[in-house]
Amino acid sequence: MLLRPQLIDLKIIGLYTGKVIIGVGLLMLLPLAIALCFGEWNAAIDFLVGIGACFVFGLATECLCQTRQDLSWSHGLVVASFSWLVAMALGAVPHWLSGHFGSYLDAMFDVMSGYTTTGMFLLQDLDHVSHGLNMWRHVLTYAGGQGIVVIALTFLFRGTAGAYKIYVGEGKDERLLPNVIQTARAIWLVSLTYLVVGSLALWIVGMWLGQGPVRGLLHAIWIFMAGWSTGGFAPQSYNTFYYHSLLYEIICIIIFIIGSCNFALHWTVWTGDRSEIRKNIEVISFSITLTIAMLITTVGLAQLNVYPDAIALFRKMFYQVASGHTTTGYGTIYSRTFVRQWGSLAMLGVTLAMAIGASACSTAGGFKGIRMGLTFKALWEDVRRMVSPESARIVVKWHHITTRTLESSTVRAAMLVVLSYVGIYSLGTIVGVYYGFEPVSALFDAVSAGSNTGLSCGVVSPTMAAPMKIVYLFEMWAGRLEFMSLFALGAYMLSFLKGR
Amino acid sequence: MIRNAWKQYGGVIGFVAVALVFLVMIVPRGAKQTSVRSLGVNAEFAFPTKETPHDGEVDSAALVENANQWDGRAITFTGEAIGERMIRGDMAWIHLNDDAYAKKNVEEAGKLEGYNSGHAIWLPADLARQIRLFGDYQHAGDIVKVTGVFYAAAPDHGGDMTIHATSLAIVRPGHPVVHTVNTHRALLAVGLMCLACLLYGMRRIAARRRI
Repeated sequence: MLLRPQLIDLKIIGLYTGKVIIGVGLLMLLPLAIALCFGEWNAAIDFLVGIGACFVFGLATECLCQTRQDLSWSHGLVVASFSWLVAMALGAVPHWLSGHFGSYLDAMFDVMSGYTTTGMFLLQDLDHVSHGLNMWRHVLTYAGGQGIVVIALTFLFRGTAGAYKIYVGEGKDERLLPNVIQTARAIWLVSLTYLVVGSLALWIVGMWLGQGPVRGLLHAIWIFMAGWSTGGFAPQSYNTFYYHSLLYEIICIIIFIIGSCNFALHWTVWTGDRSEIRKNIEVISFSITLTIAMLITTVGLAQLNVYPDAIALFRKMFYQVASGHTTTGYGTIYSRTFVRQWGSLAMLGVTLAMAIGASACSTAGGFKGIRMGLTFKALWEDVRRMVSPESARIVVKWHHITTRTLESSTVRAAMLVVLSYVGIYSLGTIVGVYYGFEPVSALFDAVSAGSNTGLSCGVVSPTMAAPMKIVYLFEMWAGRLEFMSLFALGAYMLSFLKGR
Repeated sequence: MIRNAWKQYGGVIGFVAVALVFLVMIVPRGAKQTSVRSLGVNAEFAFPTKETPHDGEVDSAALVENANQWDGRAITFTGEAIGERMIRGDMAWIHLNDDAYAKKNVEEAGKLEGYNSGHAIWLPADLARQIRLFGDYQHAGDIVKVTGVFYAAAPDHGGDMTIHATSLAIVRPGHPVVHTVNTHRALLAVGLMCLACLLYGMRRIAARRRI
């Protein structure tokens, strides 16, 4: 039986959503500062409007929804999914005011793409946008990678027990430390440390490659932000192809592979246990599936003999496949090159990599390595059971921080999420084919959106039909939040209509 | 013991085995052939025929769509210089956009006409230094015409799709973009900020009353 939500439920949801939106407004201070530094006055005004809109919404909901009651699980899940929608709508204000978008839907598409670390964009004339807007695009993806709720937890929430419930609603469930707010701060500590080191490396290399110190620094910070958060945005329309450098590509690969690792793994290694890298189920799963995707892609490229030698082939193949597998979306080829040179088999190799994705509780999307590992362990358990005597007791163990016995409930939960991903990938593909795209191309972009990757073979564009934009937007949102929050929001909305 | 070793290092052994298969499979093919035509021509875009002149003008979309057909041909390419020049010894990289924004970009109130499109150019550093302005938020870049050879996958640039240019001419010099401050929007920002301050005050009062 569904229970109709009471006024107190709405107050709780409103209060915490308001806090998250104030967090979004505070984030806009960064691009505002950059716009002011470079004398981009109109861009600065756009950010002031955006900040004002976020603060008005956040403070008004806080005033209207004053309550001391803490969150329940359903509240936490609904706050996570609902606040992402509101954050998308209000975060799009500076985008829309910049004049680089065909519609407000396009602006929201880009913001959702940023928050979800997807990296697809409908922004037009990227090569002429302000530094302020570029900073906002990359801050969105960096913040989205850590989780906008994590930001609010870090800075705006004061020791509420319910905070963990919103945190889980945002697709994260690892507790690095006993307290969830300490966990959120630990995530930021790890991310900011890497930000300094990674940006410095990219800055030095960028200047060595011929970039000026100021542009080099900005590009370094942005490329790090989008790479670390497996976002895939870049300040130029050429993406990382712009730099024409093997060294720059290697640094990017290191950044996005580290960024795609589970925060719990980071923390364990950070605190001294290096052997975890060798034992962790996600690392093993990632290595195996990356190899398989590389093999398929290589066969496709070798079949068409796209590249003049093995080194060029390996460099291009590895970058695109690793970028796809970590769901980053950085590319060193043109979008249409996938279709016009790489061909279907190589595209399917990259599609497989994107669909699987990287680690759970990281910035990456897709099925996730842990679920692939658990699924294959369960399959192996069944095979062993079939060939063993009936009296034999088959026990399968798996290791992620601690070694555990494989339980049916764990496998069921993993399979449910994998099936949900297959569902959104299928939805996007069907819609793409309906609008006249080749099945392989439609599948490529649909998987890219659902797994929050951002690589495109040319299906996603500002001229695509509005329903396609909405479907891709939904895919990004659902894929990032890993469905449970969406189901909770859906159930909540249903309970308004049918609850007692 | 063997079982334990396999458990620990099986992944690495598998990875190395697959890497070896890669090399065995790729190297002989790569050495024998330099290009392939198996994906066919996209007839919606320009492609070279017997009548196509040497050094003929080609746009970026045609080069990407029919890359294999244009591979190794001398072409002329015109576009707006964007970003910056990146000098690498005696040579340099520049990027030329031949999209609608090369004529009038969005910051100059140009129409929205889709994504940027253009090409990467590898050319002598002296030629790159002739470019005065590069397009960005504050500038419309020089419109530049280059002549050179197009490579679908340049062997000396790790397979990058590039034009190796040997000549350069400035077709139209660039200029700074004038941004007029939007006062209406500034007033809206001030109004929203005032409202936010008011709400903040109200929230503090409400919080005090609850205590």
